[in-house]
Amino acid sequence: MIEFRGVSKTYPGSERPVVNELSFEVPEGEVCVLVGPSGCGKTTSMRMVNRLIEPSEGQILINGEPNTSMSGTQLRRKIGYAIQQIGLFPHRTISENIGTVPGLVGWQKDRIKSRTEELLDLVGLDPDNYRDRYPAELSGGQQQRIGVARAMAADPPIMLMDEPFGAVDPITRERLQDEFLHIQDNIKKTIVFVTHDIDEAIRMGDKIAILKEGGILAQYNTPENILSAPNSDFVSSFVGSDRVLKRLSLTRVGDLDLEPPNGNAEGLPRLSNQMSLKDALSEMIGAGAERSVVVSGGSVLGSLTLDTIRQLSGKATK
Amino acid sequence: MPTVALQSLQPEFFDWEWLRENFLEEVWPAVIGHLYLSFVSVGIALVISLPLGVLVSRFRRLYTPVLFVTGFLFTIPSLALFAILVTVPGIGIGPTAAIIGLVSYSLLVLIRNVVTGIDSVAPETIDAARGMGLTNSQILLRVELPLALPVIVAGIRIATVTVIGIAVIGGFISAGGLGQLIFDGIDRNFPTLVLTGALMATVLAISADVALLVLERYMRPWARRARGAN
Repeated sequence: MIEFRGVSKTYPGSERPVVNELSFEVPEGEVCVLVGPSGCGKTTSMRMVNRLIEPSEGQILINGEPNTSMSGTQLRRKIGYAIQQIGLFPHRTISENIGTVPGLVGWQKDRIKSRTEELLDLVGLDPDNYRDRYPAELSGGQQQRIGVARAMAADPPIMLMDEPFGAVDPITRERLQDEFLHIQDNIKKTIVFVTHDIDEAIRMGDKIAILKEGGILAQYNTPENILSAPNSDFVSSFVGSDRVLKRLSLTRVGDLDLEPPNGNAEGLPRLSNQMSLKDALSEMIGAGAERSVVVSGGSVLGSLTLDTIRQLSGKATK
Repeated sequence: MPTVALQSLQPEFFDWEWLRENFLEEVWPAVIGHLYLSFVSVGIALVISLPLGVLVSRFRRLYTPVLFVTGFLFTIPSLALFAILVTVPGIGIGPTAAIIGLVSYSLLVLIRNVVTGIDSVAPETIDAARGMGLTNSQILLRVELPLALPVIVAGIRIATVTVIGIAVIGGFISAGGLGQLIFDGIDRNFPTLVLTGALMATVLAISADVALLVLERYMRPWARRARGAN
């Protein structure tokens, strides 16, 4: 668990704080996304967790202990760190890059080697093919995968990720996000994730902290609650006027209580149970249908009506 | 045989016979002496420049005064500098004066390349290193210096070639080396000696240049291989 307690940061020679009285908790095993416009102090806030930046006031507790209870370097070896510019060591091979922190904390060679292979598999790169390459021999997407693998190498319980998928094209980014969420389902790290992209925040976050200029916390809640009840004009304009649709994108068709399949299904759109409600709505409007059939594999699970979606989104606007 | 032809054409201009008989006794020690002067000087200069360059890269305010001093040393004509050093009590005539002079000529290039090399390391590489928990000295030794090494070796190459050239002047103050051969040859009005010294100095400079160039390439396997990446 990570707890911000009245954390402020003011740089010397400046009157205005870049982070102002920040207080919130990131529960264990959750992804907390810090999001906001540029200059909102989100990266600064993240970098105070592993003390790359020291706060001017307040403190940050990790599992109840102030993060100042050990040296900065000791602390940082226990916290995974991945950044947008990746920062792989150009003169070290992929396996040497991934083995950096395990090497620093004194793992045996064999253990580092097997961990490296495991991580390469995990991020979908064939160890035999990539282990001995240099970073410059990899594509941008592959490098970002290595950056994330390197951050996870010593199996730290906490990870800091600053736009870790920011340096690739949108399609690759979406795939990396999906892969990472899939990995996170199994490893359950406590993650502070920084982005400027509200869509990425909604996708990745168990909780979202929306910051506004001057480093003030505007709202901290689940994506669901922020989208259904933004607490200020700033938040509602930041999440965008399509917040009802964004909220629908959080729910999968298969998660709903579906109506039993009834009547003639001929000519109705058939939706996968993995589809988001937003995409389902789009399909149904596109097909001009009031009703659709939800299928999984080949079998019909039930039917979904526009009325159901309307009711669900109605709740969102209240 | 071309040597015979040359010999018969200009017997008293270049005496091949003399060279064959005296190479091991007169020329070879001069070559070794020259290499000694050059490499000891560049070595000492490197020992001074590495820590100084690292210091300057950490404390930027030092850069201007350091460049000023080393730049000033670099502009003093070599013969003048050697002459001045010879008059300093405790130094006098001989290799010491030459080495001090040669070291001071190498400093500018070496320090500048150490600083440039460290500066060329991408800031995100350093940020990632710090973020993963490397200490400052680990960042220097494992990240900054290895990445700066090709640029530092390039500096060593320029310094070495320059020093091999200037070391010839050392012959004037009895520092040994190929300069000694050349000045003796002038004194004795014996062109073979002059030409042999000059030619050997040139060969040394070119060989050092090529060898260090190869080393410089070899120092960055990551860049060599990247060119083959798709």
